[in-house]
Amino acid sequence: MEFDFSPVITYFPTLIKGIGATLLIGVVVALLSILGGQIVAVISLYTRKAVNWPLRFLIWLFMTTPLLLQLYFLYFGLGQWVLIPAIAVGVLGLGFHYMAYNADIFIATIKSVSNGQYEASRSLGFGHLATIFYIILPQAFYRAIPQLGNNMIIMVKDISVLSAIGIAELVYLSQYAISVTFRPFEFYITIAAIYYLINILMETGQSWVERRAAARK
Amino acid sequence: MDINLMMEITPLLMKAAWITIDISARALFFGFFIASALVALRTSRHVPIRWLARAYISVVRGTPYFVQLLLVFYGGPALGLRLDPFTCGVVVGAFNIGAYMSEAIRGAIESVDSGQNEASRSLGFGRLATLQHIILPQSAGLMIRSIGVLAIILVKNSSLVSIISVVELTYQAQRLIGSTYKPLEVFTLSALMYIVIIYAVMGIVEFLYRRATRYTYL
Repeated sequence: MEFDFSPVITYFPTLIKGIGATLLIGVVVALLSILGGQIVAVISLYTRKAVNWPLRFLIWLFMTTPLLLQLYFLYFGLGQWVLIPAIAVGVLGLGFHYMAYNADIFIATIKSVSNGQYEASRSLGFGHLATIFYIILPQAFYRAIPQLGNNMIIMVKDISVLSAIGIAELVYLSQYAISVTFRPFEFYITIAAIYYLINILMETGQSWVERRAAARK
Repeated sequence: MDINLMMEITPLLMKAAWITIDISARALFFGFFIASALVALRTSRHVPIRWLARAYISVVRGTPYFVQLLLVFYGGPALGLRLDPFTCGVVVGAFNIGAYMSEAIRGAIESVDSGQNEASRSLGFGRLATLQHIILPQSAGLMIRSIGVLAIILVKNSSLVSIISVVELTYQAQRLIGSTYKPLEVFTLSALMYIVIIYAVMGIVEFLYRRATRYTYL
């Protein structure tokens, strides 16, 4: 066994492209899942049962089945009814999956905001919706930040799973490079290192954001 | 919904679900020993050993399970490590969950008030005897619950083993979707099986939790 990292260096531009794609997908999915999670949480807490039960069922379904199964279902299932590109399936699949996890967190943190806040706001003349959006949600959001950060760190690692449905992110592009160079070990260890680096950066960012959030609380 | 088709594919999916259970149970079993070893190494007297254990945990938790699987399965032969897909799934699963579980075990042990340790030691119990008779019984409840969460994650992660062509639930589901063109039926059944497995795990965890906290008054 001898290692030869020169193919990794030759194909480094490809890997850089992969990192870019992975990070782009990560940002889009993070925005989608956090905003969507908030909307889903508000709807499932403040609407009548006919609306929020199906939504709660979906949250539960997304949380109890594996991501890859959901991706396969969306990839092969949606393809029968509508024509959408794989990248949209990947982003939506990952987005919905983490939307469910984030909604679960938001539901808990919204509930944790004291009832007195709602009552005080209403008695000061804010309407029902205005109270939710200006008084309850900001407080709930700050409380959700640590867990949201954890979820997003896990989510970025799960972007690698999207390669299974053929999305050209870091793992998929390196698999292409491996099929040409036959150097799986070198490439996968490089990818692991890249992911580890991303992970460390995200953890640093998380603790920075948490400190800022704690200061504003 | 095509009920006939669903009846027809149920045995196939059941067989695959058994592989999912098998691979997760084995990974959990070996993962527990790896986790215990890691906890022991993290409290070692020698700094380099402590540091190594921490580095291992950090790296495993900081890289995707998916990449770890690919690395060991396709990259392993370069190191002379040739594993069949099932064994590879168990080994990588165990080493992966072991790192997470060591944090869960450590957290549970550290949740016990340090006065308990000091009191026990000053009463003449040794380090191991203190751990066995004083610390572990008090931390068992929390430990069981956090390991239960990890066991559920392990079951869901086992779907990724399909990528190295172990015929478990997700792999079989994907193959059936491809051959029957009925994604909704296949997804409903396979999702149902995952849900049954996960609720069974939750039931077992709750049972063990009750047993472990029988004598705990809060």
